[in-house]
Amino acid sequence: MTDVIKVADLGKTYPGGTEALRGVSFAVERGEVFCLLGRNGAGKTTLLRILATQLHPTVGHASVFGHDVVREPEAIRNRISVLPQEGRPMMMLSAYDHIRLMCQIRGMAKGEAIRRTEELMREFDLWEHRKKLSADLSGGLRQRVLLCMALTSKPELLFLDEPTIGLDPLGRRQVWALVRRLTREGVTVLLTTHYLEEAEHLADRLVIIDKGRPIFLGTVGEAKGLAGGETRVLVDDLAVNGNGPQILRPQSDREVLEIVERSLRNGWRVSFQPPSLEDAFIRLVGGTIDAEQTT
Amino acid sequence: MQNKLREAWYIGLFDSLPLLRDPMLLVVVSLFSFLPVFFIFVFAGGDTALPALVGAIVLSLAFVGLFIAQSVYFNKHWFRFQDMLVASPVSPVSYAIGLSISTLLVSSPAVVLSFAVLLIARPIGALEFVAVIGISLILWIAMVFIGYAIGASTKNTRRANSLPQVLGIVLGFLPPVYYSADLLPPLLQPFALLVPTAQAAQLSKYYFGLLSLSGFEIAFGWAYLIAFAVIMGLITIKKAHWVDP
Repeated sequence: MTDVIKVADLGKTYPGGTEALRGVSFAVERGEVFCLLGRNGAGKTTLLRILATQLHPTVGHASVFGHDVVREPEAIRNRISVLPQEGRPMMMLSAYDHIRLMCQIRGMAKGEAIRRTEELMREFDLWEHRKKLSADLSGGLRQRVLLCMALTSKPELLFLDEPTIGLDPLGRRQVWALVRRLTREGVTVLLTTHYLEEAEHLADRLVIIDKGRPIFLGTVGEAKGLAGGETRVLVDDLAVNGNGPQILRPQSDREVLEIVERSLRNGWRVSFQPPSLEDAFIRLVGGTIDAEQTT
Repeated sequence: MQNKLREAWYIGLFDSLPLLRDPMLLVVVSLFSFLPVFFIFVFAGGDTALPALVGAIVLSLAFVGLFIAQSVYFNKHWFRFQDMLVASPVSPVSYAIGLSISTLLVSSPAVVLSFAVLLIARPIGALEFVAVIGISLILWIAMVFIGYAIGASTKNTRRANSLPQVLGIVLGFLPPVYYSADLLPPLLQPFALLVPTAQAAQLSKYYFGLLSLSGFEIAFGWAYLIAFAVIMGLITIKKAHWVDP
């Protein structure tokens, strides 16, 4: 496998003095979905923008397709595309115009631009809305317009910054399916998300960033392993005392057995949940919050 | 080169299409600087309205140039299109030219119409006509630079909207653009002519035969406008970043 992205000891301090990133190192292979996770303001977007050649790093080194992001951005830019965080289409411009003009800005001839626009709009269920102004589209449809704009050029590396914000569950799954299809075609995807379910579903590997520093790098399975392998047991005693389900964290097989026997005796419903990425995330990031609070 | 011009053209179209698709809004926006001419015509008569119309043509291009600040700011911080374009083969020069073309597309109906009215009322030679176009374009370029510098350095949405409008009043309505510089107290006249819009209006009025200027005043006017545009260009190059620092 070839490394599409290589990051070594990367750091960024903004001109105002805010340190956004420090000591970030990782590599992303071709066709991989690599996820950047972290709380708000952790430095995910800063990292994504550096790799997408939109922002200069302060220290360290980053290369995309073997080209340095600072010294050779032109060699990178015709092979990538970006869906920026919190982008918005122009209210008084139609969905169709947005996508067709982006095709033409990226160098397509008129006929090709028209074909590509229709292809993308049909794929994202936007075709029936093609004449509507963006102002008349729902938040989810607007996000799809932006996604289509990012996909006009058939990039080899796609940067998605919170791509499913505002999408309904079906729209979100549509994006997931698209990301999976793109990676099957060899496209590499670097995405940031707040939805841990999304990362769990899509990420081949992920890095968790906290206060600008990487605190975990590995696969989703490895992250879950860090959650302590703790299985949660949900006991629904709603019928008994009207409360919601109780979440128990048994520490041994014996404790599990006791819970099950008690539930059977009382007629409570019981279900088991394996550790999730959310558990791992909370344990990893929560640890640093706890440490901060005690100091 | 052809590709870069193509990029610029479509970026300009992208930026101006919302206005071009709405002719009523286009009329309101492009005729904004011509509104005072109407009142001058009604209350002071045609003789005073003609110089005011010359001033309005000059200002029309200056205003739209200044208002590029909003496109630059909103494309960067609100729509985030600039981020999309930075991470693409589009060059910063194409982007800047594209947004500038957009301002010309928006203002062109009003400018063409006013030139037609003016030329019918006060026919001038081809050379004089080219001179007026040249003056308007130099001022437009200078204002585009100012607008670009404001849009690129403003971090505040409110200011991105208000700053070009305040500057528009300072540069357009206060100095002798619509009215004659002779109406100002003699002490203020030299200072008023340091405002580039006033200088451009003086020169244009001269070429339309509505004002007499000495050879020195004409040469100074041209040199002043060109120097102003160059300085604004240098400030913009320093202020505007394609890749954020």
